[in-house]
Formats: sequence, structure tokens, C-alpha cells
Amino acid sequence: MASKSAFNRRQFLKATAGGVALAAPFIQPAQAQDPIKIGAQGVSSGSHADYGRQIQMGARFAAEDINAKGGIMGRKVEVLYRDDELINDVALKNARFFKAQGVNFMVGTDSSGVCLALGPVLPELDLIQVFTHAATEKLTEDLVFKKGIKHIFRGSVPVYQDAILPALVFKDNKDIKRIANLGADYEYGRTSWAMFHTTLKKFRPDVEIVGETWAPFFTADFTPHISALAAKKPDLIFATPWAGEAVLMLRQATTLGVFNDIRVWWQCMGGSVDVLEGISRDVATGNFKDKLWATARYIWNWPNTPENKAFVGSFSERWGRLPNYSAECTYSAIFALKAAAEKVDSVKTADVIKALEGLELSTPAGKRVYRPEDHQAVYNVPAGRVTYNKEVAPIAYLTDLKVFPASDYFRNPPFN
Amino acid sequence: MKSWTALTKAGLQTRLAAAAGAALAVALLIIPLFGDYVIWLTANMLILALFAVGFNLLFSFTGLLSFGQAAFFAVGGYVCALILLAVPSLLLGVVGGVVAAGLVALIIGFLCVRHTEIYFAMLTLAFGMMIHSIIWKWRAVTGGDDGLVGVPRAPLEIPGLLSIDMADLERYYYFVLLLVVLGIFTIWRVVRSSLGLTLQGIRDSESRVTFIGLSVMKYRLIAFTIAGLASGLAGALMVPLGRSASPAIANWTFSAEPVIATMLGGAFTFAGPIVGSFLFYIIKEIVVIFTGYWMMTLGIIVLALVLGFRGGVVSVIQRQLLPLLERRRNDLGG
Amino acid sequence: MTFEALVYQGLIGLSLAMYLWLLAAGLTIAFGVLGVVNFAHGSLYMLGGYFAFTFYLTLQMNFWFSLLLAAVSGGVVGLIMERFFLRFIYHLDLAYQILLTFGFVLIFADAARIFWGGIPLIPPMPEILDSTVSIVGRPFPVYNLFVIFVGIAVSALLWLLLDKTSWGETVRASASDREMASALGVNIPRLFTVVFSFAAMLAALSGALGTPVRAMTPGIGTSVIIDVFIVTVIGGLGNLPGAFVGALIIGLMKAYGVLLFPDADLFMTYLIMALVLLFRPKGLLGGR
Repeated sequence: MASKSAFNRRQFLKATAGGVALAAPFIQPAQAQDPIKIGAQGVSSGSHADYGRQIQMGARFAAEDINAKGGIMGRKVEVLYRDDELINDVALKNARFFKAQGVNFMVGTDSSGVCLALGPVLPELDLIQVFTHAATEKLTEDLVFKKGIKHIFRGSVPVYQDAILPALVFKDNKDIKRIANLGADYEYGRTSWAMFHTTLKKFRPDVEIVGETWAPFFTADFTPHISALAAKKPDLIFATPWAGEAVLMLRQATTLGVFNDIRVWWQCMGGSVDVLEGISRDVATGNFKDKLWATARYIWNWPNTPENKAFVGSFSERWGRLPNYSAECTYSAIFALKAAAEKVDSVKTADVIKALEGLELSTPAGKRVYRPEDHQAVYNVPAGRVTYNKEVAPIAYLTDLKVFPASDYFRNPPFN
Repeated sequence: MKSWTALTKAGLQTRLAAAAGAALAVALLIIPLFGDYVIWLTANMLILALFAVGFNLLFSFTGLLSFGQAAFFAVGGYVCALILLAVPSLLLGVVGGVVAAGLVALIIGFLCVRHTEIYFAMLTLAFGMMIHSIIWKWRAVTGGDDGLVGVPRAPLEIPGLLSIDMADLERYYYFVLLLVVLGIFTIWRVVRSSLGLTLQGIRDSESRVTFIGLSVMKYRLIAFTIAGLASGLAGALMVPLGRSASPAIANWTFSAEPVIATMLGGAFTFAGPIVGSFLFYIIKEIVVIFTGYWMMTLGIIVLALVLGFRGGVVSVIQRQLLPLLERRRNDLGG
Repeated sequence: MTFEALVYQGLIGLSLAMYLWLLAAGLTIAFGVLGVVNFAHGSLYMLGGYFAFTFYLTLQMNFWFSLLLAAVSGGVVGLIMERFFLRFIYHLDLAYQILLTFGFVLIFADAARIFWGGIPLIPPMPEILDSTVSIVGRPFPVYNLFVIFVGIAVSALLWLLLDKTSWGETVRASASDREMASALGVNIPRLFTVVFSFAAMLAALSGALGTPVRAMTPGIGTSVIIDVFIVTVIGGLGNLPGAFVGALIIGLMKAYGVLLFPDADLFMTYLIMALVLLFRPKGLLGGR
């Protein structure tokens, strides 16, 4: 009997010690030489799992690079990553978890829906987030500019890239008179198409919309949509389904012989590494007949600067894959936070916000300017024709690059 | 005094349950001491508990497996959001959400309860996804896949009586706690009532119940609607927490959460879904620290539960822990 | 709407229907004989696709062989599911069987991510099928014709198997009266395993068939199961001809819907289901 109660006491002490250990991060105040923690979120499960993975790779890579050179103001950078599953409530829970773990900043987020839910909570958490994928214009136009939520920054180009840039690229092509939409039937698809044809029509009132189809999320077969459009004989098809859907949609389009008749297929986010990997074989065999055009939020082969080449080289070596735009945007976002913190010699949210506004930074994607009006990073990303050349790259890449200054196609306040 | 004597004379199980209940009550009340993350987590656990108890009314006490409860959760949540965006009254939002969810449950229930077992499960799943697709497509009203954001956590107002500001997370947590307790208590009363007995009778033998002149369909529909109301309340409480509503809460994979939580805690008990909801969140939070493969972990747990621990945690406690404690108590001399 | 457009779109719809038919056939057979609705049926479709990708591209096997092997592999997965897991809970409430299969859905989703990663995977199109034929003056993919052919061939095989063989007779007898069949000497447990594996094989075949035209990602399993359920509900649960009719309706409707009601794609499927349930609750051809 005596042994039983001694056993109990030992158990009790162990449990208490464990409890104290768990509670410790909530109790201890942060100290000057503690690491600077950055919380990163992206989707790592389901059909879009690669995008979260790229955010994670970009974040970790940035931390390693920064720590190799002495950290931020002498403090090491530590990255915490969590899957947000593209769900608002999970993202909010993760954000609170990060806060409890004492993170100083946050980066990431793939989903537009999630970023709109997460943004308004940032002031309550007193945390800055540099968003690095979610593309909805509402994040910066509404939440930052109109509602004044200063904690939101975006390091990746928004939907202007997908939708307004192509209008500039093709406006002078007189062969393009009939345009059609193969739309993703949700906000992104609807907004992009609207921005595209509205902008194009400003330059070319003669352009005619000959077909519009909409496919819900998780469409496995676009052949009905593609064939419905093909029957209308469009010159240009504007397609918004992205990631895995883009890969299968493009394959299905080649089987339908669509690329014989159209002049241009504009694939939104077709320059994303996972899509290029998926379509490489078709590109190599010439199935797209040099008519597939695309862009991304960063492409690894532009700009041709030493900084970018070094980044791509060491990233590929580190992870065995080329960096996708979400990786580069997350990597650069962390460097932007570093630059801002060092500028004001502080990691306090209010100070860093002021330092980030108007910050100019040299990044692998080129010069980024975080414009103060809506906290949107302004930088150039070209559009290009998808091609393949194994001397140049192991996967398809963009060539015939058309570079326009972002200021030509980014919308500006007051955003009406 | 009478109840104290009864309690001391009661079996170990009852005393343990009472002690556990008291401990839980105290724990829930002091949660805000542990910071926002813990408050957030607990609020979600409570909402899932209510959601799961509603589900379990259908499953364990009526014998109907529904894979579409998320539909009513979502209706409750979205209607609450729409109300709050128009009129900043938390009470109106919650009541509106609950009523809307109940109405939709009545309609869908009418179409589903005439079928049983497998067919019922598939139908509820399909109808649930129908609601999901309506929410996704009806962008003008629901915001489509962006959902409704900027939903205010409006003050709790009864004109002329009280006005409590809810912007503070702590305050709102206590509101959630109160309503979840009320909701679960209501269902507990239903289960104990003659209605509850009838439902269990239907679950055990349809023919016998029909023989004594009761309409099986009518009772099933009542149970389905009550479960729908509970789900709607859960959804209406969830939306002001995160100040947003999104289609994810209508997806069938979300409908699976109360199912798993109930299995985890113990299906054929009343407390099972509540225990299971807490465990579900705790397990997931722990698992994601170690691995990104939480779905597989959860799947393995589900398999283990179905194959070996169908009574869930509660039955493990009842069957293994309790006899152990009985024996120790006897060893120690009563 | 021209006649040509209607014919062309109809053929597209027919090929869509074939994928659904293969899936629904498996689900229906499994339900008819075992009484189980396998939530992991869509995951078996996904695994079939992934297996075919691996055999055809990674291991450079012959395309036809890859399809067959992928189907068989799916059957093996089904066998393991039934023999070592489902079998132990037949005596329990049907709800537990559904829950068990749902556990597998979760496991397979992450297993796919572990083995094949999160990147969309698509192999090259087999050369022999990589062309078009002119139908009503427009290029129609040969691959889609191939899919239609496979769907019809499987239907014929199923009919032969179930109607004209003694094994088929056993299966049908066990489906309508399990106890009597057992009393007459049928080894029910073994039959269950065989039938469940066969159903899994059909699901995997559907997925494998789609590999050159549909990219595989870990989320496919949960998204395809809804369509299959709706097909079976429309046709009548447990009714094999009903499953065929249901698949046909949904496939054609998806194709024509895009042409005639471009804005309503997703909702049409549910609308049809709701209408069928309202007026023919047991499905168009009646169910069990």
C-alpha cells in the first residue's frame, strides 16, 4: 500500500512538471536574444497540397539563408508552419496558436477566402502578415485601402497579373477578334474574366465575346466545356482553372484538337511550377502548337539577374525542385520583414508596419516596392509562351517574354 | 440534503460522473485564464459538442445515420451572418439562424426520413452537398467561395433589459458556453422524455411502434428537426467567433466531424459525443505538431474505434477503468 | 443549337457517363450482395488512377497491361479492406460499416500524398489512341471513343457474368436471399470477399481509364464519391441497370448542361436528384 501511494505521488509530480512545461510558452516573457519566430500557413492537404509545400520550402529556405548570415539583428529566425486546409476556422486557429507561441510575424496563405477572414483578425492579434499567394484584389483594395487594416501586406502580385496583363499583351494582335472564357466558377474565375474582357475592350472595342462556360471547383472533365467553346470558333480562350485542374484541362484540350484552330490559349497561373511539370511532355511533343501563353506570380527564369540565378540554383539544390511563385514570394516576404525590422531596429508590429510602407527591396523576382496606399508589393512578372527545351530546363518554361511595368496594369486608388 | 445522501449512497459510477462533471464545469469556467488560443480551441470544442449531441440524437437514440448535418450548421451560420451584417443584434442573429436551420431540416427531413439505413445516409449526404453547392453558387447572397467576411460580433441586446458587448473574445466564449450548455441540456431533456423513449422504441423495433399506433415517420422527422436546430445553433455560434462564414462548413467532410467525435467518445451514451468532441480537437492539435498526415492518423483511429472500441472512450472508462477503481477502493478498505 | 453540336456534345456526355457507370456498377454490386455502401469507393478510383500512372509511366509498362494491372491492384486493395477489416463487423449495425469505409477514405487520401506527393500527375497519352476522328465535321478524340467502348464492353461482360454463369447465379441468389444461399451451401464469407474485390476492381478500372486525360491528386477520392452516390440514388440503390441509366443521365446532363445552361452546371445534378427523390423515391428503376 505504501508503494502504491508513492507511485501516485511520483505520477502526480511528473504530470505537474509536464503541465508546467506545456504552459511555459504562455507564461515566459520574450527576451532579446530569443529567436524571431515567423508563422507560415498554406494548404498542405488535398488537391492543392503542393502550394502549401512551396510556401513551407520558401519560408524555411529564407530562415536558413538569413541565419547563415547572422540572423535578424543578431537573432536567429525560426519558422513554424501549419496546414490551413483552405478553411477559415483552421487558419484562424493556427493564427492564434502562432500568437500563443510568440511569433513576431506571419506569412503565407493560399486561399482568397481565407485571407479575407484572416486579415481583419490581425489587429486583434497585433501581428503583421505578409500574404504570399492569395490573389483577391479585395484584400488590398478593400481591407487595407478602404477599411484601413494596416497589418495586412501582400508580397505576391494579385489578380491584376492574371487578368489585366493579358489584355496588354494581346491588344495589338489584330488576329484576335473573338474571345471566349473557360471559367472557374468561383470568385477568382469571375473576377479575372471580368477584368480581362473589360480591359481588352477598352483598347479593342471590336473584340467580341463568343462564348462563356463555367466549371465548378473539382471538375475532373472539362471536355464538355472545351467542346462547347470550340464550336464557337474563338481566337483566344481565357482559362482560369488552375493547379491540377489546369493540367488535366490542357491535356483534354489537346485531345479535342483545339490548338489547331485557336490562336491563343491564355492559361492563368500556367507558369506555376506544378502545372509546368504536369504539361511538360505535351509541350515537348508540340501538342500546344506554340499557342499556349501564361504567367505566374514569379517565374524562375526572369529576371536574368545574378541574385535570381543564385536563388534558383541554391533552392533547386536544397529542395530538388525549381522554386514556384509561392516559394519565392514567401522567401522574399521574410526578407522584406527583415529589412523593415532592421530599418527601425525593432520587431514591434507598429514600428515594422511603418518601415514596410514604401519599402523598396531587391529580391529574386526583381525590385519590389511595398506601396503605402494598399500595402501591395509592386514588381514585374512577364507573360510568356510555354515552351520546352531540355538544354534550358528539365521542365517546360516560359519564353518570348513580354514584360510590362506593373504600374501599367496594377489598379490604383481609389479603385473604382 | 436528500440528494447528498443519495449521492453518497450511489454507486461509484454516479459519483465519478458527478465529480467529472464538476471538474469539467470548473475547467470550462476558468479557460479564459489560459489565453486566446486556448479560449478559441475550447469554444470550437463546445460548438462541436453541441453539433455532435444533435447528431447523436439521430444516430444513437433514433437509429438514423446522417452524413449531412453540416447543411444545417451552415444554414444556421449563414443566416446568422446575414442578419448580423444587417442588424447588429447577436440575439436576432442566433435566433434567426436556429429557426432557418430548423425549417430547412424540416423540408429535407421530410424527403429523407421515409428511407432508412443506407439510403438515408446517402440522401443526407447528397442533400448536404446540394446546400453546399447553393452556397457556393449564390454569390450575390452568400459571397460564394469568398464567403461572408467582416461579420460583426454584435452585442447581445434585449431592448430595455440588457446590452452586453461581445467584441472581447472572453465575453463571447462565455456566451458560447452558456448557449451550448442550454442546447445540450434541452436535448438531454428530450432524450429523457416520452418523446425520447418513443424514438428509442423506433430505433429498436419499427413494427412494434407502428403496432401501437404511432407514426414512425412523424417521430423521425421530429428528431431530425431537433438535430437540425441543434446544428443550426452550433453554426450560428461559430460564425461570430471567427466573424466569417464560408462554404467549408457545408461540406460533407465537415459533416463527418460530429460522426467521428461521437464514435470517439462513445455513441450509445449521452456524454459520449461531448467527450469525443474535446478529444477530437486535442488529438488533432497534438498530431499536427508531429506530422502533417493528420488525416491518416484520424483514419487509423476511426478504424481502431470501429473494430475494437465501439463504445468509445466512455465505454473504456466504464468497462475498464471503473472496475479497476472499484477494486482499489475495496483494497483500501471501502 | 445545331444538330451537329447536339450529337457531338452527346458523345462527350456518353464518355463521361462511362466513367460514372464503372464506378456506380461497382458500388451497386457491392451493395446488392454485401449490403455495404463503400464510402471509400471514390478512393479506389483514385488509387486505380495512381497505380496506372505508376505502371505506365514510372515502370514503362505497356498501356493495356497497365490498365489491367491497375484494376487488379485496386481489387487487391479491396480484398484487403474486406477480408481483414470489414469482415469482422458484418454482424454490427450498417452504420459501423459505413464508418469503417470512411476511415479508409482518410487513410487513402494521405497515403496517396505519401507515395505520390501533392503534385498533379498525368502520363503521356498512349500513341495509338492519340488522334481524332471526324464526327459531324468536328475532330472527336479517339480516347473518348475508347472509353465508351470499354464501358460498353464491361456492361456486356457484367451481363454475361451475372446472367449466364453459375457463379453469377450464386451472386444474384446471395444478393436476394443471403440465408437461403448459405443454407444451400454457398460459402458466403468467401463470396463477399470476391464480390467486394470485384467491385473495387471496377472502381480502380474507372480511375485507371481516366489517367491519360485526368490528372491525379490526393483529393480526387472525396470529390468523385458524391457524383457516384447521386447516380445510384437516381437509378435506384442496388439496381444495376438503374446504375447504368443513372450514369447515362448524369453524364449527358453534364455535357448538355454546359451547352444549354452554362451557368448552372453544379446545381443541375442535385436538382435532378431532388426531383427523382420527390416523384420516384426508390429511384427511376426502383431499388431495394
